[in-house]
Amino acid sequence: MREISVRSPLQMVVLGAVLLYAFLLLFAPMAAIVVGAFSQGVEALIKALSVPDVAIAFRLTFSLTIASVAINTVAGIGIAWVLVRHKFPGKRLMDALVDAPFVFSPVIVGYALILLFGRNGWFSSPGFQLAFSYPAMLIACVFVSLPFVTRELQPMLLALTGEQEEAAYTLGSSRWKTFRRIVLPQIWRGLLYGIILTAARSFGEFGAVVVAGGGIERVTESAPVYVFRALNDRNQVGAYGVSLLLGILSISILVAMSLIRRRGAQH
Amino acid sequence: MSILLEQVSKGYASNQAVVNNLSLEIETGELFVLLGASGSGKSTLLRLIAGLLPLDKGRIWLHGREVTNLSPQQRNTGFVFQSYSLFRHMTVAQNIAFGLSIKRAGRAEQDARVKELLNLIQMEGLGDRMPHQLSGGQQQRVALARALAPEPEVLLLDEPFGALDAKIRVQLRQTLREIQRRLHVTTILVTHDQDEAFELADRIGIIEKGDLLEIGTPGELYRRPRNRFTATFLGSANLLPAHRNSHHIFVGEARLPAPPDSEHLQDQPVEILFRPEEISLAPTAETPSETVIGRGVVQEATFAGPLERVLLKLNRESNGEKAQLLQALLSPSEAQQLGIKPGQEVWVGLKNYHLLARVS
Repeated sequence: MREISVRSPLQMVVLGAVLLYAFLLLFAPMAAIVVGAFSQGVEALIKALSVPDVAIAFRLTFSLTIASVAINTVAGIGIAWVLVRHKFPGKRLMDALVDAPFVFSPVIVGYALILLFGRNGWFSSPGFQLAFSYPAMLIACVFVSLPFVTRELQPMLLALTGEQEEAAYTLGSSRWKTFRRIVLPQIWRGLLYGIILTAARSFGEFGAVVVAGGGIERVTESAPVYVFRALNDRNQVGAYGVSLLLGILSISILVAMSLIRRRGAQH
Repeated sequence: MSILLEQVSKGYASNQAVVNNLSLEIETGELFVLLGASGSGKSTLLRLIAGLLPLDKGRIWLHGREVTNLSPQQRNTGFVFQSYSLFRHMTVAQNIAFGLSIKRAGRAEQDARVKELLNLIQMEGLGDRMPHQLSGGQQQRVALARALAPEPEVLLLDEPFGALDAKIRVQLRQTLREIQRRLHVTTILVTHDQDEAFELADRIGIIEKGDLLEIGTPGELYRRPRNRFTATFLGSANLLPAHRNSHHIFVGEARLPAPPDSEHLQDQPVEILFRPEEISLAPTAETPSETVIGRGVVQEATFAGPLERVLLKLNRESNGEKAQLLQALLSPSEAQQLGIKPGQEVWVGLKNYHLLARVS
């Protein structure tokens, strides 16, 4: 890419405006979180983060993230594979539907899950209720983060054309072995990228999770939901502290993504 | 019999048959070329044999073993694609060794076999290269080595030289012919290039719209085709409507002795086939009179490398019929002797000809 060095005053003004905008939008909130977290000293922060609710919330968030990544990795590979390698009626509709989680408000998703699995819901059964429980939150997470792996893999599988796989088949390689030895080594970078996006979306999800899970303290309260409650309870340090931890996670993900992208560009 | 196809059919959804009730026998060690235009079904047939496509009807045997319902993994074929399809993330050596590693061959055996094949494709010392570091011709040679490494029962090549430059293509043909002869591996090669077919084939099968029209050695198919499509598809052909009685052929007013291999065409509508190089031209009718088919006017004469290409309009003695355009090839000395130029009248004789049944 060609990079231009700034010459005229006008260019400097434009550049300055862009940088200021980016700073206000991206860095200022992070700075505010850091300042807010430490506003009452390190001790207060540690104390605020040591309450059992925070540990439970993070445990729940990690558990949701890991489970949803696992599910969406397998499902995402499967959906991408079917959409690229197979021909079937309704294929284009299905391809379009993969983007549904991008366009639906997460709150609507959560609400729909309650309608399906709540009391008197379509799929509810006496004595067993899925709404306001861990499974409901997981379904919400899985739904909102579904497209990432699929959308990363589709172009890569398309570029592989399928002939390498056919060559492997004629050489005696089973479907699974062919996937592992021929396909996976050529798509792993995209897969990893999709997994990271899935994880980021899953652990940060608020709307769908709070509606589907009900945000019951210490039961269905994930980390982002805890932040919301802490703010309502005027527990500023707790809210900022948990936000800080979530922010650190997000930044690690950004770094990981840019590393993968840069490595990919070298190849 | 190495490859035996029995009434094999394949149609894609919503389409008519791509391969239509096709039977074929190929001998062990034979190099059989399936020649056809694009869309003729030749690649589909190859994929059916490899098991990469399921067939609708019919049966397939490879070396006496019925493989009709076996997966591609169980068929033990070597397949070479037009676009090479090397494993991009593996070295040349790893590509070649892939089939052996699937069969859990030992490391030493794999290494020895890789070395042997690199030697065979004349790429010694290039085992550590990655595919993207190779030229197209080299990639295709690696693809060939990869297909041959596990010692397949049959080798299937789908337009293997289609993506290569003309010069490389000719070199690779020779390489393939040598390797195929040395290993004596039964081979089917699919192509639309008749030069390739003539140079490589023990036998050629002409395929058109899913039908196997005719099978024969290159010489047989060129000189004595039974099918009009074969006659026109292979090389240039001059075809004139004719009639045969017990001893003679009548082409317009001309009477020619009937070739001995055309007895079955007696008293049937026929066409007489002669190649451009089988035409002889003379300034008078005094050349051997029984082969003269009439007088013609030179339309144009063009340089065609070692030969001169002459386009003639044949004036049939009998009127009412449309004047027929004929293509002739003359040696430069012949052309000079006759002083060939457009507008010139010549007598057209045939050195050789063949009869085909006429399909109305």
